[in-house]
Amino acid sequence: MSVKIEVIVGGVPHNKIMIAGFVCTLVCLYLSYLNVATNSTLFSFFGGLAAVAALIWGSHTIKVLCSYGIGTGVPSAGMIAFGSGIIAMLFATKFNVYAPIVAVILGAVIGLILGYLSNAVLNMKIPAMVQALTEMAVVGALTLMGFAVLITGSFTFAGLTTGSVKILGFISVPSYQVSFIGGGLTAVAFLLGAIAIQHPFNACLGPGWKQDRMLILTAECGFLSMIVAAVMSFAMVNVVAAVISLIVALVCWGYTYHQYILLSKRDAAAWLDSKPIPEMEGP
Amino acid sequence: MSAVAAKPSAGGAMNPTAMVVGLVMLIILLAIAWKMAPGLGLMALIGIIIGGVLIGFGVHFVPVGGAPAAMGQAPGIATGVAMLAAGAGVAGLFGGAWAAEQGLVVAVVTGGIGGGLMMAITCMLVNFVYVFGMGIPAASGKVLKDPITGDSQPEYKSQGTEGHGLPFVSFVGGVIGGILGGAGGTLIYIELLDLYKVTLPTVLNASAANVLPVAVSAAGMFAIALFLVNAVLTAYNITGTIEGPHDPKFKRWPRAIVASAVASALCGLVAILIVVPI
Amino acid sequence: MEHIVFGIGITALAGALATVAGSAEDTESNIGSQGDPNSQVQLAPQMGFVHRIFNKAVAGEPPAYGLWCALGAGLAWAFLAMQINAVLAIVLGCILAVFVQGVYATTAYLGRTASLAKFGQPVYTDILKSMTTVTMAHAFVAIFCTVTLCYLINAALGHPFPLPLLGLIWGITLGAAGSATGNPYYGKERQYQNQKFGAGVPISASGNIVRFAEAGERNSLDNGFFTAKFGGPASGVCFGLIVFLELWRTVIFERIAAGWGAIIVGVLMILVFTVADRYIEVWARKTYGPYTEPKKEASS
Repeated sequence: MSVKIEVIVGGVPHNKIMIAGFVCTLVCLYLSYLNVATNSTLFSFFGGLAAVAALIWGSHTIKVLCSYGIGTGVPSAGMIAFGSGIIAMLFATKFNVYAPIVAVILGAVIGLILGYLSNAVLNMKIPAMVQALTEMAVVGALTLMGFAVLITGSFTFAGLTTGSVKILGFISVPSYQVSFIGGGLTAVAFLLGAIAIQHPFNACLGPGWKQDRMLILTAECGFLSMIVAAVMSFAMVNVVAAVISLIVALVCWGYTYHQYILLSKRDAAAWLDSKPIPEMEGP
Repeated sequence: MSAVAAKPSAGGAMNPTAMVVGLVMLIILLAIAWKMAPGLGLMALIGIIIGGVLIGFGVHFVPVGGAPAAMGQAPGIATGVAMLAAGAGVAGLFGGAWAAEQGLVVAVVTGGIGGGLMMAITCMLVNFVYVFGMGIPAASGKVLKDPITGDSQPEYKSQGTEGHGLPFVSFVGGVIGGILGGAGGTLIYIELLDLYKVTLPTVLNASAANVLPVAVSAAGMFAIALFLVNAVLTAYNITGTIEGPHDPKFKRWPRAIVASAVASALCGLVAILIVVPI
Repeated sequence: MEHIVFGIGITALAGALATVAGSAEDTESNIGSQGDPNSQVQLAPQMGFVHRIFNKAVAGEPPAYGLWCALGAGLAWAFLAMQINAVLAIVLGCILAVFVQGVYATTAYLGRTASLAKFGQPVYTDILKSMTTVTMAHAFVAIFCTVTLCYLINAALGHPFPLPLLGLIWGITLGAAGSATGNPYYGKERQYQNQKFGAGVPISASGNIVRFAEAGERNSLDNGFFTAKFGGPASGVCFGLIVFLELWRTVIFERIAAGWGAIIVGVLMILVFTVADRYIEVWARKTYGPYTEPKKEASS
């Protein structure tokens, strides 16, 4: 009594998507480091783009993993990815410019061990489990790092724990409470990513699954998360930088959402408006 | 969330080699902590491991029926196991964090009671809905007599179903699961909070009072993240649904203890190393 | 003394907000058809029962509501950090969170229905247009009440956690409580109205959900008034009791016996609910009777 899961094949091979996502994410994260070079926060939007690239990679990994029927729902995969990812990411921020690399390595180690535990100790014996959990932990760490950059402008521990609060409207005082970690925005980024990574596969699940539709949906979810994260960044980065992030996010979201609707129209059995249930040949 | 078809093949068997490897990994992680962050760090790691094991073990008690329960076809609560347990655990963490300044024991017990109270209210209202809203008595599909009350079950099971509602043993299981989960989550939180309160002022070069929001939020976030990781591992262990402590699937708990211990040790070690100068 | 009276006042307000939030959450998840009962909506076309029900496959309710409430709280926190008035900050934050929820709902419906094209299930754009706004409206009530109670707990009662973290905590708990109490009512009573009352759905009937309503073809809007009859209030009472009792025992009793007072009161409350549950269970067994007598088949 459930949607039948068939091992879904077709489309661009997973390894290609993994490599492309991995490279894109790292490039975007390092492009955002231009913030430090120019002593501004104008390049924060690259963090959002990094998060979207990582999410596209991660959602395809979830598709590979859940095609085997893991016995629980799809959302738990997203939760374990981000649960392990956030710990890796916060540790990696200690390493300043090497933070993304450390996040990848540490995420991979954590994911590898979790995958081994699931497959061997918990006896799940799913062929793709170890690689999938490794990839997902890395994706989780990188996505969170992307959101952190988008909201605060940097991926260093100091940058994530300090912010400033305006007294009397114009005097800026440093404050630990108005910061990414201190204000608890890690919780919002965590859930934004966890839902965005599992939603595309969960929503496109079924015999008519198509890879391009799912990947466009991932991009759309990523840009939607980027919109709200950009709104939150108004409190932490320069107004101009936040407006740039917001405009980039809105434009890209609008485009991907429109594309997704067109692809759904292409794949649906029928696209009806105010019509009754069609006569079938009987159950 | 769709109920994916349960995985066939090796469900309940234990893998001795893997368990031993797991225990070896645990010892290695403890050794790393002892080397890099002796004293406070090692104590915190031990506390985190105990907290993680409590969570992993506690989630086995929570009765979850999944999609069939939503149709009155299986006993248990009609929600996903990881997230229902997370709900109880974070409700407990909420209470435990509030009592943090009253000491470790009081805070952990408060957290446990908070989680147990949330599950008690939820389970009672689940039975309320089944009995008064749907006219269905509670019945278990896995045992002939309720282990606690001795009520016989088979004739109260409607035809074509595996049971429905929450028999008393499932209710008690739910409450115990909430207590253990809330206590475990709060323990992790308090250990990390105490560690961060002491070490963050040096790392960030600021006063303890200023740094407190960062310590609280970071510790809280890690506690929730560790909670979710342990709950999902347990969900994998029981393959999605379990009726409660009387369910045969409950016997799989040793595997989950080892897995939770290693996962919590690993994540806890990373969380501790954040404040250790490298 | 005054401090405790103030605390009780806030607790009562938080409890009331939680009750409204719980009720609105269950109504929203039934109108949108989310969570475990939704698996039947997805199964029906595969068994040949094409329908006009909204198929909102956005995770389960706990993680979804965790996200909407954390998002609302995080946005409210950001607006508060920009020195915007508290009420305005919360309202704006919740509006943006509901916008995200609405978009997720539409993409879920389109995605799942397009993937079921093989079974002839069409995408009904009028369902999309009418259901989405109603779902968003109920979600706004739930999210707004939850974020407000988080703000009260943080600002008025002095909980150490920051607003977004509280939003995550109470969002997940709201989803768990509302899902646990509301799902079976929607799944069995509404979707399988054609089955005999007073028994679970037999496995042979899976997928055969009710698709025709009192007048015309059923759509998800019809689930709104149905939920308001029983499931909604039950979920509201559940979440309201959880919030109220948790806050009440802490505010009044935490000073007694260095914290053990609140613990003892908590244990007593758990015992009260255990007794109540046992009473309900025994009442059902006595009043409804067994389904089968030894050797004789009898409907309850």
